Amino acid sequence: MSWIEVVVAGVKSRAAVVRARDGVWISWQGMTRFVGPERSSPVEQAAADREVRAPMTGRVIKVATTPGTAVHRGDVLVVLEAMKMEYRLVSPRDGSVGSLGCKEGDRVDLGQVLVTLAS
Amino acid sequence: MKVLVANRGEIACRILRTLKEMAVPSVAVFTEPDENAPHVHLADEALPLGKADRYLSPDALVDAARRSGATAVHPGYGFLSQSAAFVRACEAAGLIFIGPGAESMEMLGDKRASRAAATRLGIPLVPGAQEADVLAAAKESAEKLGYPVLLKAAGGGGGRGMRLVRGRDELPEAHEAARREAKASFADDRLILEKYISPARHVEVQILGNGRDVVALGERECSLQRRYQKVIEEAPAARISAETRRAMGEAAARLGREARYRSAGTVEFLVAADGSFYFLEVNTRLQVEHPVTELISGMDLVKAQVEIAQGGALPEPVAPRGHAIEARLNAEDPYRGFLPQSGPILMLHWPQRPGVRIDSGIQEGQEVSSNYDSLLAKIIAWGADRESARRRLVETLREITLLGIRTNQSFLLQLLESDEFRKGDTFTTTLEAREWPEPPLPEEILSAARRWISSRPAPQNGAVSAPTPWESLGGFRVGL
Repeated sequence: MSWIEVVVAGVKSRAAVVRARDGVWISWQGMTRFVGPERSSPVEQAAADREVRAPMTGRVIKVATTPGTAVHRGDVLVVLEAMKMEYRLVSPRDGSVGSLGCKEGDRVDLGQVLVTLAS
Repeated sequence: MKVLVANRGEIACRILRTLKEMAVPSVAVFTEPDENAPHVHLADEALPLGKADRYLSPDALVDAARRSGATAVHPGYGFLSQSAAFVRACEAAGLIFIGPGAESMEMLGDKRASRAAATRLGIPLVPGAQEADVLAAAKESAEKLGYPVLLKAAGGGGGRGMRLVRGRDELPEAHEAARREAKASFADDRLILEKYISPARHVEVQILGNGRDVVALGERECSLQRRYQKVIEEAPAARISAETRRAMGEAAARLGREARYRSAGTVEFLVAADGSFYFLEVNTRLQVEHPVTELISGMDLVKAQVEIAQGGALPEPVAPRGHAIEARLNAEDPYRGFLPQSGPILMLHWPQRPGVRIDSGIQEGQEVSSNYDSLLAKIIAWGADRESARRRLVETLREITLLGIRTNQSFLLQLLESDEFRKGDTFTTTLEAREWPEPPLPEEILSAARRWISSRPAPQNGAVSAPTPWESLGGFRVGL
């Protein structure tokens, strides 16, 4: 980790950087970002449209759908709980549910596929 | 007296520091994920509790107190701090509970009982229904009151088990979710229902009692909330009249006296646009935002709690001086549904500045776990007036460096710099009234980051954890 000098609009200032496994975290003037390698290839985009993944580590408290069910964009698919708060994961598009990657009561990891939508 | 602190994170650290100042021997407790957490090292001794959920186990805590020879327990906030059963368990084991007695806790901490007490004393309250556990009853009351209504857990606060219901279609799902969340948070799924008052300010009065007399120590405003959790707090309130302030303080002290309240507590009110106020609930414990009261009064509320527990006198209320504002730094992503974030803290730097206090429960190298609340630290600034305090807090937040997980740092800056906050136009609906888009980083900064990566080898696998997968995830949306 270290501090680097940056010039923004002609003015010198300082940013903090630290290396993570596949990118770098940077903080400047109270704003923080993870900057990774170039991403979002068309293949990844297509996958993102088919899969609903866990946005955090948590526990599945409700699975609100079943395979084969028709869903609309915005329909609740799974309810997760973390830090004693509930979060509803909704369908990213209209379609039907292909398979489920979790059941009620499961502990799921960040990034785990919870629901796959059929095309 | 030897005090066991039955908590973790910033509040355990804050209590342990006061105990050290008072030369009172202290005991920390920790769970498996917290083995190396900062609070463990601030106590004279530390005892393991076991699994992650053991901060909620009265048996494990009382046993730890017995093993360490502690004579008193400070519960902090959250966890068992508002459990009358825990108070009784402590007292049965011969331990002093640094907080209210079990009976006062039951009278004021339970929303149903405290509303009944306020009614007896003629303190105005938000129209509502005491019994909303059963969906049919909740529906009937909601129809009578008129939507929108708020469902609330009868047995606890902090936004847990609370749901806004805008119309009858939303009621069944909201009711089910509120009960489930209340049960998970407080092991108590009773609900009450209230008329939703908007626009309103959230203003609360700090009280301190010794079991006989109760004093009111001024108010705090905590209108800026998301998902009913406070984000920014200040003292005194931004814009209420002297008459409203006096009347609320008087009502709060009366409620405390009615319950023969001992130790620190907070009486919460909603203040409508016309200055009329309504009793909401009592938090029978030290609150997260107590430092703003400490900064304008010069008091140490934890010290006062310990002295009262030792049989000392109630402190005299002092005239407040200046203005204090607190911002809660949370491990959450404010631009993507406030989802909690977990991961390693790879770099941490706290700036120093006159008039600024940082109550933190984290250190560099620590893993922020998803087991607990997302509060990382509280940044509190004092100023001779509101604007000076605001500017100090803004400059401090600009200088804080916390890398490795997403936090709400830039969101706090947006709020503090907003026209609404500058003018004191702060209501419980202010945050949701408009969008708060993520501020862009200048391209110069992003390209500097990329250049810096290419000049460095990646760390060995496992040296640091992978970042949150937001960058590559995409695709899901969160309904809130």
